[in-house]
Amino acid sequence: MTPWFRLRVLPFLLATALTPHAWADGVAFVLNSKSASVSIVDMTARREVRRIPALREPHHIVLSPDGKSLLIGDTAGNQIMFADPVTGAVQRRAPVSDPYHLAFSPNGKYLVVNGLARNQVDVYDAATLAMIKRFHVDSTPSHLDFSPDSKTAFVTLQDTDKLAAFDLTAMTPKWVEPIGPTPAGVIWLNGKILVANMGSDHVAVADPATGKILDRIVTGKGAHTLFLAPDKKILWVNNRAAGTTVSLDAQTLKIIRVYNIPGGPDDIDFAPDGTLWITRRFAEKVAVLDPGTGAFETVQVGRSPHGIWLNPKAPAP
Amino acid sequence: MEDPFDLLAGWVHETFLIPLLYATGLMKWEDLAQGWALFAIYGALQVALTLALCMPLERWRPVEHWPDTKAVAVDIFYTVLSRVGVLPLVTFVLFYKVQTSLNGWIVDHGWIPPTLEHIFPILFGHPIPSFILYAIVLDCADYWRHRLSHQFRWWWALHSLHHAQRQMTFWSDDRNHIVDDLIAFVWFGAIALAIGVPPLQFPLLVLVLRFIESLSHANTRVWFGAIGERLIVSPRFHRAHHGVLAAGQRSCNYGSVLPIWDIVFRTADFSRDYVQTGDPSGEEALATGTWLEQQRAGLRRMLRA
Repeated sequence: MTPWFRLRVLPFLLATALTPHAWADGVAFVLNSKSASVSIVDMTARREVRRIPALREPHHIVLSPDGKSLLIGDTAGNQIMFADPVTGAVQRRAPVSDPYHLAFSPNGKYLVVNGLARNQVDVYDAATLAMIKRFHVDSTPSHLDFSPDSKTAFVTLQDTDKLAAFDLTAMTPKWVEPIGPTPAGVIWLNGKILVANMGSDHVAVADPATGKILDRIVTGKGAHTLFLAPDKKILWVNNRAAGTTVSLDAQTLKIIRVYNIPGGPDDIDFAPDGTLWITRRFAEKVAVLDPGTGAFETVQVGRSPHGIWLNPKAPAP
Repeated sequence: MEDPFDLLAGWVHETFLIPLLYATGLMKWEDLAQGWALFAIYGALQVALTLALCMPLERWRPVEHWPDTKAVAVDIFYTVLSRVGVLPLVTFVLFYKVQTSLNGWIVDHGWIPPTLEHIFPILFGHPIPSFILYAIVLDCADYWRHRLSHQFRWWWALHSLHHAQRQMTFWSDDRNHIVDDLIAFVWFGAIALAIGVPPLQFPLLVLVLRFIESLSHANTRVWFGAIGERLIVSPRFHRAHHGVLAAGQRSCNYGSVLPIWDIVFRTADFSRDYVQTGDPSGEEALATGTWLEQQRAGLRRMLRA
């Protein structure tokens, strides 16, 4: 063994061998809403390696606060499937009514589940999954987000063009206000609530205390979902009808760049290499977008891919 | 593997339906429109496949020759209406709304609607056996719906529209009174509530089942042999159900895809050979009227029953 090998190579090999997932390649979980399955995608090879069967119609996915489980909402199946976030192995299936969009409050205390088809917003105890409160709403609760202090949940009401706020301390409705045509995605950003209005070409900016609209940011026809980049500097908006993905400065909300992503761009997750993984609902594909060049690669998945979640630390599947 | 028909449906949705929905302020129907596009594309494929396979069979070994096939044209209209037209859209929206509302009402009362996969957990992760089991259960349910439609006078009055055709071809499968279709929809919805129904997960298999149903009406001397006749409904087997002597409340061979139900419930008749079809008891408009005339005649007959 040469000194060079002993000094330079051996420590590297030992370090990588001892570090968990040192040679990790990453796994993407993609929910195929109309194939009733979850695609397990090798992030490095950028190809689907296998599928986990769901019951009927999985739409959205979220990681549990303890990081041990992925929760996959199966709307028509009336269940939440719990899966291992590294291997994708199914841990259990819990009966839950119409789980469409779901998210944990920032303090990890509550799991809020929107029943889009059932006009209900359910608040569960995150630890036990016992239902704390059911809010009946009018109508079609689509997406949700929270205030950073976890005291308020904001829910878009797709068919009635409104945004609703729920007090999670008192477990009471706070307000319901008109927000724009067919609201879908919603996000808390810099003390404001932003809502993507799918029946229009803009994102509405609202006051979280009152729900009153403060501004409208034009992003493209069919503004649908909003995602904040991990560095919190860029807000990404997918426009369903325009077939575009738009980056905005998260502070000024000025458009930085427009990317053509045909095939119904929907959910986004962010990879450590800077790429965006975007589900394309009508194309059976995920677009892996390099925001620097604007080019995107595609990964073949199942029918109507919707929710997506990346685990870059997982070993190659 | 890509599903070319799903991709075609996606293209139709993105290119035509979304711009239309956006322009007319109807984007709230966007998700349902996507489902309908897939339904309609597979419906069109069903029609094309049935045409490509059944028409040569009807020309090769026809049971009957007709100098005038005007009555068949109405059946073509029924087929297009049923499989790619307005009916799938209405059914899709209605089915979705009714099923979710009822499901929700049931869930509110502390009960999660079951699925066959819940009843038989071994089916989880095995979509093909699951679908086959669903298809068997649904076929059995359809046998009983069909059999009951012959039992009650008012229901038979509606269903007799389907039997009135004297020029029965593969186009005749969808020839139904709209109220009869509505009852079938409610029936199907009740089954869906009881066991859950995943048809859009398996569009190709649904396509095969619908093809068998169309083929069973074909004007062709085709049978599947002594054993095959007892496994899958053939044109010969189903033609006996449409025979003039079988029309009405005492019929035979009610099965849509599987003859096993007729065998088990003692309504099978394998002895009849390519009989003449039609319902002599019905008014002429049911057989040779326009679509609207047939619908009116069916309604009149039901009100008189």
